Amino acid sequence: MLREVISALDYSACAEIALAIFVIAFVGLVYGTLRLSRSSTERFASIPLSDRVEDPRHDD
Amino acid sequence: MAGVAQSSESREGNRGANDFSSGEIESFQYNDSICRMFVTATVVWGVLGMLAGLIVATLMVLPRFHPNVLFLLGPWAEYLTFGRLRPLHTNAAIFAFAGNGIFAAVYYSTQRLCKCRMWSDTLGLLHFWGWQLIIVAAAVSLPLGITQGKEYAELEWPIDIAIAIVWLGFFGGNFLMTLIRRRERHMYVSLWFYIATIVTMSVLHIFNNLVVPIGWFKSYSIYAGVQDAFMQWWYGHNAVAFFLTMPFLGLMYYFLPKAAERPVFSYKLSILHFWALVFIYIWAGPHHLHYTALPEWASTLGMLFGLMLWMPSWGGMINGLLTLRGAWDKVSADPVLKFFVVGLTFYGLATLEGPMLSIKSLNALTHYTDWTIAHVHSGALGWNGMMTFGMIYWLLPRLYQTPLWSTKLATWHFWVATIGILVYIVPIYAAGLTQGMMWRAMDDKGNLTYDFIETVQTIVPHWTIRVLGGALFLGGMLMLAFNMFMTWLSRPVTYEQPVYSAPRLLPMPITASVTKPSSLEGKPIHELGFLVEKLSSMDWHRGWERLPVKFTLFTLIAVVAASLFEMIPMFLIRSNVPTIASVKPYTPLELVGRDIFVAEGCYNCHSQMIRPIVSETKRYGDFSKAGESIYDRPFQWGSRRIGPDLAREGGKQSSHWHWQHLENPDKMSPGSTMPHFRHLLTRDLDFDKVTDRVKAAHLLGAPYDRELTEAPDMARRQAEEVAAEIVKRGVPVKRGDTLVLNSQAVALIAYLQRLGVDLTRPAAPTAEGATPADGSAPADATPADATPADATPADATPAATAADDSPAATSQPLAVSSAVTDPESR
Repeated sequence: MLREVISALDYSACAEIALAIFVIAFVGLVYGTLRLSRSSTERFASIPLSDRVEDPRHDD
Repeated sequence: MAGVAQSSESREGNRGANDFSSGEIESFQYNDSICRMFVTATVVWGVLGMLAGLIVATLMVLPRFHPNVLFLLGPWAEYLTFGRLRPLHTNAAIFAFAGNGIFAAVYYSTQRLCKCRMWSDTLGLLHFWGWQLIIVAAAVSLPLGITQGKEYAELEWPIDIAIAIVWLGFFGGNFLMTLIRRRERHMYVSLWFYIATIVTMSVLHIFNNLVVPIGWFKSYSIYAGVQDAFMQWWYGHNAVAFFLTMPFLGLMYYFLPKAAERPVFSYKLSILHFWALVFIYIWAGPHHLHYTALPEWASTLGMLFGLMLWMPSWGGMINGLLTLRGAWDKVSADPVLKFFVVGLTFYGLATLEGPMLSIKSLNALTHYTDWTIAHVHSGALGWNGMMTFGMIYWLLPRLYQTPLWSTKLATWHFWVATIGILVYIVPIYAAGLTQGMMWRAMDDKGNLTYDFIETVQTIVPHWTIRVLGGALFLGGMLMLAFNMFMTWLSRPVTYEQPVYSAPRLLPMPITASVTKPSSLEGKPIHELGFLVEKLSSMDWHRGWERLPVKFTLFTLIAVVAASLFEMIPMFLIRSNVPTIASVKPYTPLELVGRDIFVAEGCYNCHSQMIRPIVSETKRYGDFSKAGESIYDRPFQWGSRRIGPDLAREGGKQSSHWHWQHLENPDKMSPGSTMPHFRHLLTRDLDFDKVTDRVKAAHLLGAPYDRELTEAPDMARRQAEEVAAEIVKRGVPVKRGDTLVLNSQAVALIAYLQRLGVDLTRPAAPTAEGATPADGSAPADATPADATPADATPADATPAATAADDSPAATSQPLAVSSAVTDPESR
């Protein structure tokens, strides 16, 4: 039964489906990344430079 | 860290409104002791790994000075052959040197980026000592010939299990728990790279090393032939990606801004190229198998994704170099930045070259040549080496709490290493190009211009220069070791343990997302519109970036999904591996011989994959078919040709020739750089252990019958026939205490004589009960004419006049084809 089901499946579209998923996911990530504000990215980028925290920094 | 995707990361800068991190102030100390241990291990293993590389490089050129010089190694020669030492060098460089460097970077930077101590000191110690024990186990087992025979995955199953436990259990668990307990809300991008490294390497390691053990030191891959090749290069390519690229990008994003005292140039670019690498890398493995028996669709997919890697890779390089904007004056004075700049430059070069090499037409020229070796060392020495050195020089004063002993020596190290890399790679690139061009060169009549041995001799001078480059790079490494030792000597009696403070991170409330009003509030719009607006706000992604478990899970899904899209068709579509009726399982003796071939690391120099390229089919015979390697566990297609391809070696030379060749390669092939394998001539074969191998092969699908009960006797009978041919030609019956027929060399020769002959195997006798004299598979063998259309008939292999020492002049132990390729054309 399982063998018949697997045999009947058409895998030929795997590459196209994969490409579509990849494009959708990547476009979404690009969109999300570009929407980041300058203040946020500057704050994130400065994290390694602030090892010795004296004053608690705020999170938003 | 419970909670779901929550409020905006202050896109509008609304601090305070959603401030969930300002818990009570907590004090903590970093665990720098573990960092010191990993840095020390990095330097120690770096010296030893590079020394192993230098020895290997020297062994390759020694015969040029005296053909018998390798005999001077005496009894040690067995353990110091290129085939056994090369995996030792690669494993030491990758997993010992780069691996310990990665761990030092992760332990140091993660604590700072998370504002908390590593979750467990005990797990850290278990990780450290466990990893060092694994390295020692590798250093002992590989020279002893204990190997799975798959590049960068040579270690046998007990060590593989230890790696999984140490990597995922001790290292991964400790890292993930540290992320969960962190005091910095946002996970800095370095941590993303570390997460991807831990998750993906776990998946790669576990699935590529699935085996059936037959003892503590021997196992067989559950994959065979094409599928094993696909899995291996899915692993091999992504080991480079997720062990030698992603964690080093992670350390670059932490240590470069620290050293330059400037934030990273573009945080957005770092996010983009992180996800691009995660999504793309995992697909690209098949480009290592262009023009092989791998299905065309997989090869093309690998090429396209390989090409696509160029842009995200350069995103990382550009982001790194531009981080130094306005700080280039520091580069001239600071050796740390010097190392980073050159490291990033080599990263850019290697990641431009990699995509170019994934183009089929270019790959056809460079694959199997030394070009690949130059490419690998451009990346390993230039990118991994220089980034590790830069990081260590930055860390030493901070970890030992004393100034670096000599900045001048560090600068010397930089220049010596840089020149060493160039002296190494330039001649080897030239060697690769030379090999590629000579292999395909043909005269006006369409005959090959060069014998294989000529192509080897032409590039030996390049190899000699390479030794100098390697020595320079090792010399630089020794400077680092000395500098570190002197710095350590001037350390304080007791290290200071600074106490830091940061607010505890509070869980984010589920209701937080409600606090940001929708811009569509009160407008007459369908609910779907609100949903789209909510999704497009990307708050959910900001949420993931704060949630390590979910982030890890999504990275895992990205990697596994991409892998499955390639693996499912590869394993389920039967047409990917068309079977060939005349291809039969190995005989018991050949199985043992194959194990010897693997143990000696012959695949490090000899491929078993003839590509459908005119110059290759003329040199070696008909191109390799997928169905020919269905019993090959592991596959032995190789990745390099220091020696000729062996896919159709069976029947090309007599067994007597092979015996003499193992004893003294230079005598049979003047100018050969192959080491001798005399120990195989004097070491007894244990026929009683043959049965275990047959049973394991049977378990994995080989259609054995009486071999299961009569394997030792069948092996003995075939050994007698092979030995008879050898002795008949004048070889003494006994060598030392070992009879020729009992020697391991006989099993190896039986295997070599079997290679590639099934395709042209003549019709087997069909009389019921008839058994081949050699004791091989019973007479149910399907005639060769039942082979599918893609199996080329025997006449595709040019028959030639048999040389005096060729099998046509002797009785053949196997039912091999009479087709013999002209030895001159090799």
